[in-house]
Amino acid sequence: MIDSSAQVGSRPGVRSDKTLAPEVPVRPESDRSPRDRTADPVFRVKELSFYYGAHQALRDVSIDIGGNEITAFIGPSGCGKTTFIRCLNRMNDLIPGTRLEGEIDFEGRPLYGSDVRAIDIRRRIGMVFQKPNPFPKSIYDNVALTPRRNGVKKSQLDQLVEESLRRASLWDEVKDKLAQSAFSLSGGQQQRLCIARAIAVRPDVILMDEPCSALDPVATFRIEELMAELKSDYTIVIVTHNMQQAARVSDKTAFFTVDVSDQGRVGVLVEIGETSSIFTSPEDQRTEDYITGRFG
Amino acid sequence: MTARRVRNAAFWSACSLAFLCVAAPTLSMLISVFHQAVPALGWSLLFKRTNSIGIQNAILGTLLLLLGVLILAGGVGVAAGVYLAEFATGRHERFLRFFSEILAGMPSIVIGYIGYITLVVQFHWGFSLAAAVISLSILVLPYVVKTTEVALRQVPTFLREASAGLGLSSTTTVWRILLPPALPGIVSGLIVALAISTGELAPLLFTAGFSDQNPSLALVHHQLPYLTNVIFTDLSLPGARARATSAAAGAVTLVLLIILIAVGRLVSRGARRATARMTI
Repeated sequence: MIDSSAQVGSRPGVRSDKTLAPEVPVRPESDRSPRDRTADPVFRVKELSFYYGAHQALRDVSIDIGGNEITAFIGPSGCGKTTFIRCLNRMNDLIPGTRLEGEIDFEGRPLYGSDVRAIDIRRRIGMVFQKPNPFPKSIYDNVALTPRRNGVKKSQLDQLVEESLRRASLWDEVKDKLAQSAFSLSGGQQQRLCIARAIAVRPDVILMDEPCSALDPVATFRIEELMAELKSDYTIVIVTHNMQQAARVSDKTAFFTVDVSDQGRVGVLVEIGETSSIFTSPEDQRTEDYITGRFG
Repeated sequence: MTARRVRNAAFWSACSLAFLCVAAPTLSMLISVFHQAVPALGWSLLFKRTNSIGIQNAILGTLLLLLGVLILAGGVGVAAGVYLAEFATGRHERFLRFFSEILAGMPSIVIGYIGYITLVVQFHWGFSLAAAVISLSILVLPYVVKTTEVALRQVPTFLREASAGLGLSSTTTVWRILLPPALPGIVSGLIVALAISTGELAPLLFTAGFSDQNPSLALVHHQLPYLTNVIFTDLSLPGARARATSAAAGAVTLVLLIILIAVGRLVSRGARRATARMTI
């Protein structure tokens, strides 16, 4: 269902019967790398709660996501990481019956403002999905379609396609068969094609929802290499089930978990910090339990 | 072991019997129609009109009707199908489906009658191409809408997500991403609509009239000849020649139907292969 409407807005009066989310510990200044101190966060999320109809999926998530770095969301199944990342580019608007409370600011301006169109947002915040989903078209057309619709002139398209495929580490493998169907590629190649397709739009942010979970280890490795190269130009947020991947690839890691109470199961953000610190000395016991494999 | 063998044999016999019950009358009908058409078969069939011993005008009239239905029912039906599959929600969706289902159950003669009262009489169009095409299109509209909707729903959802994730507008998503893979399904739906239109008589009796001349492209005030009318009328006329002409018109109608169905099957085979390549 294609639907561009969204219900937005924070409602200050609603919180009286809710328990407050645990304080999100922030890494001390001295632990931060130099760029954090100067750059404003790309995303600033304030007490986000998300509902699928009557069921609450996320509660009071507050987080800052910095630019030109890779932030990983980890946590057990059902903790709302995918729901949360989809809020960042308003993909959840497509699902009828969903509701969002709280605020998300993207580059200082509200993401869910009444004057903001979801389509414009998604041109600046791209997404790569869990299963590769190329269009049933040629490799060239997959990458060129969106820029063409956005007004890029035909003369510049060839160059844009080549650039995007090069950045996605796919050019050498497909340069002789650009006219072939995207489905003739292997799973790993298709996922890199999806990344090239996302890059061709020249977004500022790339969201990745478990991009390697459908791929074999070799393909996974290549995509992780790719992420490390891309972060110099893009802000990358990745959801992953694979803790080792988060440890290898990300600069910051955020741990989500499921909070079980009488009202049911709700996803909450436990802590966020530099990846190395999270994995060696997490502040919250729940994080430590998850990382050491005691649950989840 | 033997009990199972007996059951198998009984089951297969029942299946073969069922197949015969379907195949035999079909074959018998085909053979009998062509057999009765033999005296009238000949090149004059295609080159002379019904005031002589041919049915050229009727053939051209039917083809013109099919073109009109393709444009009108195709255009409106595909648009409605797209709307139902991708954009309609809540009350709009329910109402649209409800009315579509009522229309699907409407008897063709009632549609013809309404066409007569409104288009032929009230609008003063007289028996005409426009009245005939509109009535036929209303008749086949639910089929086109349904097949379009089904074809679109069969396009995998991940394409919609991928398209949305890139910030493409709904229009672009439908036109460039969803319709191309759905096209084979939509086309076979259109062919079914055309096949139905080829064999219809009741709505046309009230809206098309008949004429011994080749059909003109005028939308109103000119009566339209068509094949099923020849089958119907000539059967009641005296003389062996009339009956042969009636059978010949029937034969041509059947040939047209067979061509349409064959094309439809080719298209759906292509569709199946295309969607198979899409699921990885």
